[in-house]
Amino acid sequence: MRRTMPPNFPIPLHAPNRYSPPMTTPDPLTLNSWQVIAALDELPPGLVERTILLDTPLAMTRDRDGLPVVWRRTDEETGDEIDPETIFDRLPVTTGYGFVWTSLGTPPTDLFPIPEYAEPDRVNMSCGSIGIHVSAPRAVENFLDMGHFPYVHTDILGAEPHTEVKEYDVEVSEERDEVLATRCRFFQPRAALSATDGMEVEYVYRVPHPYCSVLYKSSPEAPERRDVIAIFLQPVSEERCRAHLLQSMIDSTSTITELRRFQQTIFGQDKPILENQYPKRLPLDPRSETPIRADKSAIAYRRWLSQKGVNYGVIPVAS
Amino acid sequence: MITLYDFELSGNCYKLRLLMSILRLRYDVIPVDFFPGRQHKSDWFLKLNPFGQLPVLKDDDLVLSDSGAILAYLAKKYDETGLWFPDDPAITAEILRWHAIADDITATASAARLALGFDYDFDVPKAQAGAHRIFRLMDEHLWFGEREGRDWLCRPAHPTTADIACFPYVMLSEEGGIGRQDYPALRRWCDRVRRIPGFTIMSGIFPAGRALEQA
Amino acid sequence: MTLSLTDSTWYPIASSDDLPFRHVYQGQLLGRELAVWRADDGNVNVWENRCLHRGVRLSIGINEGGELKCQYHGWRYANRSAGCTYIPAHPADAPARRIQNRTYPVREAFGLIWSAANDDQPFQPFPGAETGEWFPLRPIPVNAAPEDVLAGLVTLAPDDQPADILPGLAVRLGAAHYFVQPVDSNRAVIRGLLQGQPEDAVTTLRSYNETLTKLRDRLERAARKKPAPEPLQPSFEQVSVDLATMPDIAIPRGNTITVVVKRKWASADGIIGFELAPREGHLPTFQPGAHIDVHLPNGLIRQYSITNGPGELLSYIIGVKAESAGKGGSKILVESVREGDLLSISEPRNNFPLRRDAVRTVLIAAGIGITPLLSMARFLDKSSLPYELHYFTRLGEHIAFRPELEALHGKVQFHTGLARPEIAQTISQTLGEWSHAQHVYVCGPSALLESVRVTAATQGWPEESIHFEYFKNDKVIDDSSSFEVELARSAMTLQVPAGKTILEVMREAGLQVPSSCEQGACGTCLTGVIEGECDHQDVYLNDTEKRANTAILTCVSRAKSARLVLDI
Repeated sequence: MRRTMPPNFPIPLHAPNRYSPPMTTPDPLTLNSWQVIAALDELPPGLVERTILLDTPLAMTRDRDGLPVVWRRTDEETGDEIDPETIFDRLPVTTGYGFVWTSLGTPPTDLFPIPEYAEPDRVNMSCGSIGIHVSAPRAVENFLDMGHFPYVHTDILGAEPHTEVKEYDVEVSEERDEVLATRCRFFQPRAALSATDGMEVEYVYRVPHPYCSVLYKSSPEAPERRDVIAIFLQPVSEERCRAHLLQSMIDSTSTITELRRFQQTIFGQDKPILENQYPKRLPLDPRSETPIRADKSAIAYRRWLSQKGVNYGVIPVAS
Repeated sequence: MITLYDFELSGNCYKLRLLMSILRLRYDVIPVDFFPGRQHKSDWFLKLNPFGQLPVLKDDDLVLSDSGAILAYLAKKYDETGLWFPDDPAITAEILRWHAIADDITATASAARLALGFDYDFDVPKAQAGAHRIFRLMDEHLWFGEREGRDWLCRPAHPTTADIACFPYVMLSEEGGIGRQDYPALRRWCDRVRRIPGFTIMSGIFPAGRALEQA
Repeated sequence: MTLSLTDSTWYPIASSDDLPFRHVYQGQLLGRELAVWRADDGNVNVWENRCLHRGVRLSIGINEGGELKCQYHGWRYANRSAGCTYIPAHPADAPARRIQNRTYPVREAFGLIWSAANDDQPFQPFPGAETGEWFPLRPIPVNAAPEDVLAGLVTLAPDDQPADILPGLAVRLGAAHYFVQPVDSNRAVIRGLLQGQPEDAVTTLRSYNETLTKLRDRLERAARKKPAPEPLQPSFEQVSVDLATMPDIAIPRGNTITVVVKRKWASADGIIGFELAPREGHLPTFQPGAHIDVHLPNGLIRQYSITNGPGELLSYIIGVKAESAGKGGSKILVESVREGDLLSISEPRNNFPLRRDAVRTVLIAAGIGITPLLSMARFLDKSSLPYELHYFTRLGEHIAFRPELEALHGKVQFHTGLARPEIAQTISQTLGEWSHAQHVYVCGPSALLESVRVTAATQGWPEESIHFEYFKNDKVIDDSSSFEVELARSAMTLQVPAGKTILEVMREAGLQVPSSCEQGACGTCLTGVIEGECDHQDVYLNDTEKRANTAILTCVSRAKSARLVLDI
């Protein structure tokens, strides 16, 4: 669906910019996890689509029933016609939240839950998959961060001089094995188009997967319910990822185009920050950067990655 | 009434938002889902522009496409000062030359950005090399401009649509893996463009700090 | 020749012209990226191009004139020291820890900006540099190994005039000196200097530019045929253990610094200005509202606010009230300290932090109370934040720092000779009704403080929007409690009865404990707390520090718990 050029160029995700980072063999958790690779409705049935996951070239298509088929790519090119019945050596595949997920190892039965997604009156949509020159964990950490709202999402999610990050709660849920930040509040000068005065918006953040995060914020249309915005990061290489964006909204008035535009605007503002971050892998050693109280969720996230032994897209603590 | 068919992350659409902001023009926006929806190749959009490219601008019944052409139209029709697209034949030619270079920047810097960010199958090293070749020449042009008392791409002592046309994809080049460290004069020009009164941002472009002497 | 990350040679990294007003230049030397910026005072800063907080390039940040502002979270770093002065996510707190970006040595000379990877070598001009006036050529970046670029330059020499190779990747070719800036193992910039201003500058520049561009193309063609060398891999220095952990607040005890009284003058009738300069380099980073302890010749310690604006670290300027009837303290400074004398001062401390997240900031001063508010006004001024400053004095000749105040761009109002009711009325009108994100800062005699507090409160200003600072502890000390203190390092347990201070009890037990004001204002007797809950009664620690319960002033503060374990 996405092509306008003849498919005879190599996918340039590894264009040597300055140097090739050392290739890490992913840790067992990363290998055996589900990893997102595409939005389901952008995957054309019977035609080959290519991507890269954990430095591994993959090819994919959809079969006659609309189900995705994913395999390690050899010489297939984007747009090639293919009969999915002829693909025998398939990787595990599942669909969830409108996306295709695969694994290079032995994945668990289920994907992490986002129960709200199934509510019948929600507008669920992908907002595009955008390549970024930074590691997946850096992008997760940015997604959890509120302090940058006035500087990066000026006049949308925040505005100077209202810069304070108030005290919030963070825990690592034992039961669900995820990082959870609650009571996150931030002052938004114009939280809704109709608002003249600013108001404080409350968020809840979850990190249910090393490369995925989900945020909840109260819906302007139904204040007792919450809109869900999720970012699923596909670790392409140690220093590159693709951000797959999901919105699950209570919104009966906006068009999909408008909702996508909003999310892309926000993400497009984060992009230059992420791509100017060094090192590109997330450093897990506490002495690599300078945390403040507002970074509690990031600190918890880094510790959680360390404890899980995640080694891909991060700089582990030197042992 | 002006209506812009617009995609937020498009530098070409932004050129028009930028000039209209500077000229303080009011306009409506019709968002087009360029990515991932590819609405610019949909039937309804192709009726507006058979070439299937953004932006498209409607001014009452007039339908226009191509960002450089629309910049010229907006300036000639709505800029009462006559500074943004001056009538002088030599300056007109100079501006049109830079509009053409702006298209070359789109074909290189923007192509690299589309490939790395939006999965387009373009030859990235080739696009990057092409952008660096243009940036080198721009940096030289602007560096000597500073020595000769010229702050902008064209001869007049004020910015023109040439600066607007070239600015977005220069500023967004890092998304295509094209750094600007080697182009200090180009970076200074980017600051100057961002300090034009009425300047507005797009996603991916931050405003410059204030630089008034009294600041 | 291989490039080394530890090469201590000074190389040019930019032209002076590359640093116009309020610009941030992106440079690189020996693989390390640099953010280079000129402050409004002309000083050039060469810093690692990376914010210590989250690693974002500072070259995409904003030059605010005296501070550099990171684009990601708005952290401000001071001119000269690269010390962090403000963290917007926590606007009410003064950054308690010493967060300082990595800086590189810098020298501006001969139209170029010079820097080095480390401080191992003093700056040495190239041979003959001091003899003339220099004219920089357009720098030419080349994607080739620096040593190949140098070799290429040598080939430009005419047969009858061989190139003169100079130390530090430099060469002299007739009238031109060329310096090769080693950007990385495979990238360089040719920076040329001509002696004297050429007659037709632009023509000359174009001619050299053409020659060097051709050389560049030749060098790059050759470089493409060779295998590219591995880029240098500079590592980022680790931050201190102190910075790596977030929760506890460390209260810096700070070292004392020796300063020279550079200037002493009558700033107003009864107010003496002192300019205190370090013997070399610059003074530590301070935040608006900060003060220093000045150790007086007679052994007393007194606190004075710093009046400086952002990034002004070459000297601190303080104002001292010449109290005719004053005893001891300020009198000594005013009467016996002269220009050229040496004084000991503490590192700056801030108990009066300025929030920069207000939609309206009102500064109210009277008399000598202008000093911290002048600094605040200067910071707000540089960042173009809205503020108004009201300065009450009895007579016009009592207005201290008048030229400095008149140089500000905000609303500065002098109120001279008002009677008490008029002052109260002016304060009331100035404050108005409170609305979200308005803050008032007051400094002056206690009558003024009281007046502002009462008026503000009746006009709906919440407590946290009214800010003031004590230099004297006017609080009534409640010494009715009795408790036990365990001195962990001295292995001693003492009983503190009602009516006695911890300090007194420790002294009676034979311990040598330093103190000065003994009223909970100067911080000299600050002691670490290991266990137990403090009953803070001082005015030295700020609220956050008090809540942290990690240190106590033993001269006035006590215990809420039955037992207190001190690190002494």
